[in-house]
Formats: sequence, structure tokens, C-alpha cells
Amino acid sequence: MIEGAIWRRWVFSNLPLILFVVVLLFPFYWMIITTFRPDGELYRPWNAANNMPFWTNKPTLEHIYYLFEETNFARWMFNTMLIAAASTLISLFCGVLAGYALARLNFPWAGSLGTLIFITYLVPQTLLFIPLAEIIRDFRLGDTPWSLILTYPTFLIPFCTWLMMGYFKAIPKELEECARIDGASRLKAMIYIIIPVAVPGILSSGIIAFTLSWNEFIYALVFLSSPDQKTVAVGVTSELIRGDVFFWGSLMAGALLGSIPVAIVYSFFVEHYVSGLTGSVKG
Amino acid sequence: MAVTALGAGTARRPVVRLRKMEDERWLALALLAPTAILLGLFIAYPFAEGVMLSLSSARVGDPGKFVGLKNFFKLADDNIFWTSVWNTFWYTGVTTVFKLALGLWLAMLLNRHFRGKAIVRAFVLLPFIIPTVLSTFAWKWMFDPTFSVINWTLFKVGLISARINWLGDADLAMASIMVVNIWRGVPFFAISLLAGLQTISPELNEAAAIDGARPWNRFWYVTWPLLLPVTMVVMLFSVIQTFADFQLVYVMTGGGPANATHLFATYAYQIGIVSGLLSEGAAVSLAMFPFLFVIVVVQLLYIRRVETR
Amino acid sequence: MANAKRRYVLKLAGSAAAVASTGLAGILATGRAPAFAQTRTVHWLRWVDFVPASDALMRKELMPQAEKELGIKINFETVNGNDLQPRATAAIQSGSGPDLIQAFNNNTYIYANSVVDLTELAESVGKREGGLYKYCRSLCSDGKMFMSMPWAVIGGMIAYRKSWFDEVGATAFPKTWSEYREVAKKLKAKGRPIGQTLGHTFGDAPTFTYPYLWSWGGKEVDADGKTVVINSKETFESVKFMQGFWKDGCDEGALAWDDTNNNRAFLSQTISATLNGASIYIETLRKPDQYQTEKGGPMNKDILHAPLPAGPAGQFGMHLNQSDMLMKYSKNQDAAKAFLTWMHTEANFEKWFVSQKGFATPPTAKWEEHKIWNEDPVMAPFKVAAKLGQAPGFAGLPNQKAAEALSKYIITDMYAKAVQGMAAEEAVKWAEGELKKIYSV
Repeated sequence: MIEGAIWRRWVFSNLPLILFVVVLLFPFYWMIITTFRPDGELYRPWNAANNMPFWTNKPTLEHIYYLFEETNFARWMFNTMLIAAASTLISLFCGVLAGYALARLNFPWAGSLGTLIFITYLVPQTLLFIPLAEIIRDFRLGDTPWSLILTYPTFLIPFCTWLMMGYFKAIPKELEECARIDGASRLKAMIYIIIPVAVPGILSSGIIAFTLSWNEFIYALVFLSSPDQKTVAVGVTSELIRGDVFFWGSLMAGALLGSIPVAIVYSFFVEHYVSGLTGSVKG
Repeated sequence: MAVTALGAGTARRPVVRLRKMEDERWLALALLAPTAILLGLFIAYPFAEGVMLSLSSARVGDPGKFVGLKNFFKLADDNIFWTSVWNTFWYTGVTTVFKLALGLWLAMLLNRHFRGKAIVRAFVLLPFIIPTVLSTFAWKWMFDPTFSVINWTLFKVGLISARINWLGDADLAMASIMVVNIWRGVPFFAISLLAGLQTISPELNEAAAIDGARPWNRFWYVTWPLLLPVTMVVMLFSVIQTFADFQLVYVMTGGGPANATHLFATYAYQIGIVSGLLSEGAAVSLAMFPFLFVIVVVQLLYIRRVETR
Repeated sequence: MANAKRRYVLKLAGSAAAVASTGLAGILATGRAPAFAQTRTVHWLRWVDFVPASDALMRKELMPQAEKELGIKINFETVNGNDLQPRATAAIQSGSGPDLIQAFNNNTYIYANSVVDLTELAESVGKREGGLYKYCRSLCSDGKMFMSMPWAVIGGMIAYRKSWFDEVGATAFPKTWSEYREVAKKLKAKGRPIGQTLGHTFGDAPTFTYPYLWSWGGKEVDADGKTVVINSKETFESVKFMQGFWKDGCDEGALAWDDTNNNRAFLSQTISATLNGASIYIETLRKPDQYQTEKGGPMNKDILHAPLPAGPAGQFGMHLNQSDMLMKYSKNQDAAKAFLTWMHTEANFEKWFVSQKGFATPPTAKWEEHKIWNEDPVMAPFKVAAKLGQAPGFAGLPNQKAAEALSKYIITDMYAKAVQGMAAEEAVKWAEGELKKIYSV
């Protein structure tokens, strides 16, 4: 980028960026302020004279206490993490292998198989979940984390496979051929030469997969039933909305705390994530 | 001698097996097997079941019988269905354009060196990270007719004199839902496009600048063509996700007011799950498939063309 | 009316156990708890109760007691009311899930194929407790079998601010719709409109639109349950009136409210009246310091309840009916039935009923005499909620078709379209077309 005068940099770059950050983060600020706001302040109409939506003078921890003492929140966090991590690992395993095969091996119908895997990504969840419920029953997986660990890959694998395909395609053929000339078998060349090169790509598809499974709602709602098996999204909505009353403070506290683990993962990996995507989109 | 011979003898069998892996077809088969098993079991089979369901008269607890395309004919005559078809296209189209434009802009802004770059990049991703259901609840409250902080702000700034009824008016409700979708999608676009931008070597731009190209021309003739393949892939995934969106509408309006905000997925849910008409719900879900399929095929063909150029 | 001498001995197939259904006393009198071969788990799925104390009572007291007395294990699960249906559907289709699932209104008809007949239990409880209300009976039984065991009715009444109504000269709650409209007009002029949702929400929207339609003489179908008769002069009048009423007296922001919005609006004093369960009032009782009127007193002293006003054709109500379905796929039907029987013994049910403080009205007449109704005059109108209710699908049965029309929000959308600017004739015609699609199949 060629830098111009300072005022230009402010008007064209810094100000818009600040604006972006403010708009994108405002709902989070809103959640934070709601989490610490006493109930009495929550019920002030927008045009009330004493309404101060952006600040509170009497912050309280009551909602967070409620979340941890009256609900299984900690347990839900653990479940969600376990499920997201396991289904991500499974999807990565499948996606890396399939992506490698589709991108670097010559075999009949490679192209159509790739398209087919992609098309599975288009099948709507609302169509699948009734038949899936039957499969879950047949395997006796109902109300166990496995019901989600095994179904989430259905929408994660196509994604990972495609991302990895792009990444593998971008790695020069010569790299592998050199290794083969040195006497490595195909499998060895894949495991020891190509996959290590692809680590940034694996990381970024892993991060996206983790986020997508952290996000899922319908399957988690339908396939899990015991309170201590639930995930954060389902647990928070089913326990903190009572009849016709929302427990806003705790609901927002749950939303915030529920996104912290993923946020931490991202803050560590965001640079890798960008460079990983870079590799896979180059193809 | 004897020792090596023995060693060669025992090592023989694994070598044979591995040699099979030297054949690309066998290796491909082995590598694709886990994916094929999982997708076959948890997608292909349920999908076939779903298709059968849409051709039957099944209700909850009643397997029904084969009725051919009757459910689809019924849909063709269903106003709410056509409203949701229209809504879905409108919703997908508008949000994708905005997500792309804003995402690209944000990506360009982030593709510079400034202090706190890493932190800002991590922070702008937050909307994409938080579970949709929960962030949508926060938005729902921000749009709440009685408590809207947005109305408060607009009022204090002096832009409005009476409140805006965000979720109660058909068009505004749709607009509100779009805003949330865009808010959620921009970070994903931005970070992915940022990745694309970083593959473009700065020299290209500098060379163009030395040749006297204005910033806008530099973008249009240098950056954009190079960014196009990435953009198309990101758009492809975003369109698929948006087209089948469920959680957001479910939480914000449940399809109301007066069915004004139903999308394919929420309408399928309404009919299939809430009304218990499984077959008709499956038909609505399935009806989404050809539409989506066409959009995606067009996009894929375009990507291929862009890539081979 | 509880006759301690009368004992119903239910034969429970598969076990020789007998449960006396006349209460704890009965079980104690037989000297032993019914023994099941092994410990079985009964899984009971219900909504998250509005009254947290009731769920706490269930978890901490009633369930452990039932486990001890019946020798079973109980998995007591609660979910958000809107999420009961996806759970039921998935459970039925996959043939596994909770043994007992709570049903709302005439959802029972949707799941009729998948439930066990509970006639014996329902009739015995009804007989013992002064008879089941017609409303609950029609929603849980199609005349041949009880698809579910009536549990309670969450009464819907108009909660209103007494002092504000007084200020505009309405010292008694308006009796008819036109009176109500006049009062509402004055209230809205003072910035205190009526808050009523016409959105897609299972509680507050249909419980307003259906009784409103009936009170004008409109109905979905004829008594034959087939002929769609919504397109009538009466319906048209009701839609026309609604358009004016909405503009004159209602908070126009309420069009897409869900069940929670009106509670918050009422509690924050932006509306003067709304149709709701007793939840608003109960909330103000729970936190008197937090909810104060604009004059400074506790708001709970300024809230009263009234039924919906009358129209030319009479006065109606529709309430959230809750019942428990015993699922056919359940492998623990005996245990689940025994548990349900135990739960409906007067002594046990009463504990729960009292914890509700009037939020829920039991399905049988006997409870009208319970002393809890005398404790708080504000809650007294809910006493007869179930008695006055009428079921959707009127004048036909509240069957599967009626349930479909209800879950598609056709009646509600008819009014919503009209107040959004559609001509009354067109809105009625639209509803007729939609209803015909359902009833013609």
C-alpha cells in the first residue's frame, strides 16, 4: 500500500476500520452490559427518562452466579467442547485423506466424486433430521455425545475436503516426486512430506469445522435429552427461557462465556488461519 | 546372509500390501473409504429416506402410503410456500451482496500494517464465532419494540422522532433479519478475502502505481481479477449456508408477522415438525434442493472458468 | 368429593402390583409399594415451568418421593415450550425417547397414532374429582380414547392496570368489545395502549384471536367438521372491527411479539393491558421492589385480571391446555402409567398445584373449591379458566385438521394481514383458501 497524507489515511482507512470494529462488536458490548446489569434496569422502555442503555451504575454478578449455581452451565461447556473437538478431529481425518486422494491421485471418476462430496453439503438439515433420528436409535446413540460426534461430520467433511483439495493442489508435484525418487512409498510420501506441508491448511479447516459444530442447534436439540448431556446453545435456551419470561442477564452471560473458548482458539490461530486459507485458496 | 534373508522373508507380506497402495486407484479407495462410509451412512441413506418421505402421505406416527408427486402439487398451490421461496432468494441475494462488499472493504482495511493488527483481526471474527442462536437472542432484544437500544440511539441522535417497529412490520422484519445475517457473515468474508489478498504480491500493485494507475483502477485491473477465484469459493459457501438458514429466523420472528419472513428451512420446519405433516415438510425441504443445485452449479462452472483462465 | 373409601385398583399388565389411586394414604394402606421386577427409568419431558418453584418442587421433592414409593427411577427433563414438538416428532419417528411427553392444546390429535389410551386413568381421576371439564376432555379425547392425561390449563386472562383504567373512567373492566375499544382509545391517547401480539407464537396469539373470532360468531368450520364457513358476515365484521381497534387502541409495535414481549412491555409500564397467563402478576409478586408504578407503589397492587370482553355472539376463552402423553414406543408403559397415576393422586397433585399459586388451573371441577383461590382475589378469575374454555376447530372437533390450522397460524395471520393494511374481504378470503386446503384433503 502506498501511503498518502495523514488525513487521507485517517479518512480512508482508520475511520472506516474503527467504524467496522464498533458495529461488529457492539452486540458483544451489549451482552456484557446486560450480563452485569441488575434486573431492575433491564425493564426500562427505550424512551424512559432514566434509560441509560450503555452503562450501569450498579453492576452485579448475580446473573453469572445463577448460571453456574442453578444450571449445568459448566457441564454444557465441557460437552460442547468435547463434541466439537471430536467431530472436528474425525472430519479432519476424513477430509485430509479424501482431499489428498481427490487432488493428487489419478483414478477414474475423481472429478465426479469430488462434486458428489460437495453436493452432500447442499442437502438441507431439515430433510435429514427425521431419518437421522432413526439411525441414531438403531445405533443406540440417543442421548450420548456420540449422536452428535458422528452426525456433525456430515456437514463438516464436505467443507474440509474441499478446502484441503485446494490446498493439496497448490503444493507442487515435484515435492512428492523427489521423495519418491529417494525411495519413499506413496503412502510415506503423503504422510511425511505432503501432510506436514499442508499443516496450515489443516489448521484453518479445523478452526472452521470447530466453529460450525460449536454453532449447531437442531441436531443437538433433538438428539440429546438429559440436562447434563446438552450443549451450550441448547442448554442455555432451554433452561433460561421460562414459559414467557427470559432470564436476560444469565442468557447473555451464557452467550458470552459460551463463545470465549472459541475466541481463545481463534486469537491463537488467526494468523495461521489466514495463511492456511491463503494456501488453500491459491489453487 | 541368512539373517538378511530371514529379515526379507518376514518383511515380505507388509511390502506386498503396501505395494498395492502404490497403485493410485487402491490408495484412492483406501483414502476415500472413511469419508464414503460416514457420508453414505449419515447423508446418502437419510437423503434417500427423505425423498421417499416426500413422496408419501406420512404424518407423525403414521408411515402413510406412496402418493407420488401429490405433495409437490399441493405446494405449487401454496401461497406461503411461494412467499418463502421468494423470501429465500431475496434474503440470500441481498445479504450476499452486502457481505461481499463490506467483507472486501474490511479485508482491504485489515491488509495493512498497523499497531494491534493481530488483536483487531481476532476481534472482528467474534460475530462469526459466537453460537448463532445466542447472538440472535441479543439482537432480538436490541430490536425489541419496547426496549430497542437502536431506537434509543437513533432518537438521541435525532434521526427519528417515533420508534421504528423493527420486527412488527413485514419489510422491516426482513431487513432486520438481513442485518443480523450480514453482521454474522462479514467477518468470515473479510478474513477469507484477507487470506486471498495476502497471496497477491505487493509488487504488482506497486508496478501499476508507478505506471500511473489510480487506486480504483489498480484495484479493478490488478487486485480484483487475482482475488476472483477466492471470492467465488467464499461466496459459494456463504450462499449455501444462507440459503438453508434456519436458526436466525427461528429465533427472531418464527416466520412471522403473517408468514412474511419464512424461509425454506423455517417453513419446512413449521409444516413438518410443528404441524406433524412429515411428508409435506420433506417436500418443502426437498424443493429447496433443485434451486440451490442450480445456483451452485452455475457458481462452480464460473469458478472453473475463472480458474482455468 | 375425594372418597377415601373408594379405591380403584388398576391392573397393571406385566406386574402384579396394584396402585391405589386415592393418594399416598392408599399406598400406605396397602402396606407396600408396587414392586417392579427391576429398577426401571421413566423419562418425563415437560416444558420449563414458568413458576420456578414448581420445577424445584418436582426435582427435589416429588420425584425422589415417587422413586422411593414406586421403586422406579425418574428422569425429569424440561425444555423450552416451543421445543416440545420437535422432540416429540423425532422421538415418535425414531421409536425411542421420553416415556411421557407433555402436549399443548390439541397437539394430542397430531400424535394420536403414537400414544397409549389413558381413558381408564382420565375417567377415574375425573370421577373422583368432580368431573373433567369439557374443554380438557375435548382436547385430550377424540371420543374413543384419551390420547393424553389432562394435566392443567394455563389460563389466559387480560391483565390490566387498575389505576390507569380508573383514570380514563373505566372503573369496571369493559364488558363488550366496543366498550373495550372506547376505553382503549382513551388509554392510547395517554400513551398507554393495549398490548396484543398477532405473531407466530404458541401462547398469546391464538388464545386471543380464536376467542375473539368466536365472540363475533365466526367459526372455522361447520359442526360437520368438513365445511369451511370462515367466509361469513360475522368473520368479516370481526376483521373490520379489529382493524379499527388496532389503530385506535393497540400498541402497533406488537404485531410480531412473542410470548415474552408483552410481559416485558407490561412490566416496564408501556402498555396498560394484555392477554396473558398470570405470569406478569406472579413476577411482580416475586420482586415487589423492582416493579414499581409510576407513582411509586408496588405494581402488584395495581394489577387485576379479567376475561376477554364479549362480542355479539357471546364471551369465549381459549387457554393453554397441558396434558401428558404416554408414548406407544415406550418400553416402560406400566411403570410410566403407574407413575402418572401416582402423580395424579390428590395429595401429590395438590403439592404441585399449590406451588403454582393459581398460574395453572387443574382439569377437574373439584379444585375450584381449593382454598388457594381465596388467598388472593387477583388470582380468583383464573379459577374458572378451564371451565369457560372452547377448543380450536369449533364448531367441529379439535382434531388433527384443526391442529394443523392452529399451527399454521391461519386465524392469527388473517387478523395480522388485515391490520397491516389488507382489505378485510381479502384477508377473510385468504383464510378461507388456506382452511379449505387443510379441510378438503
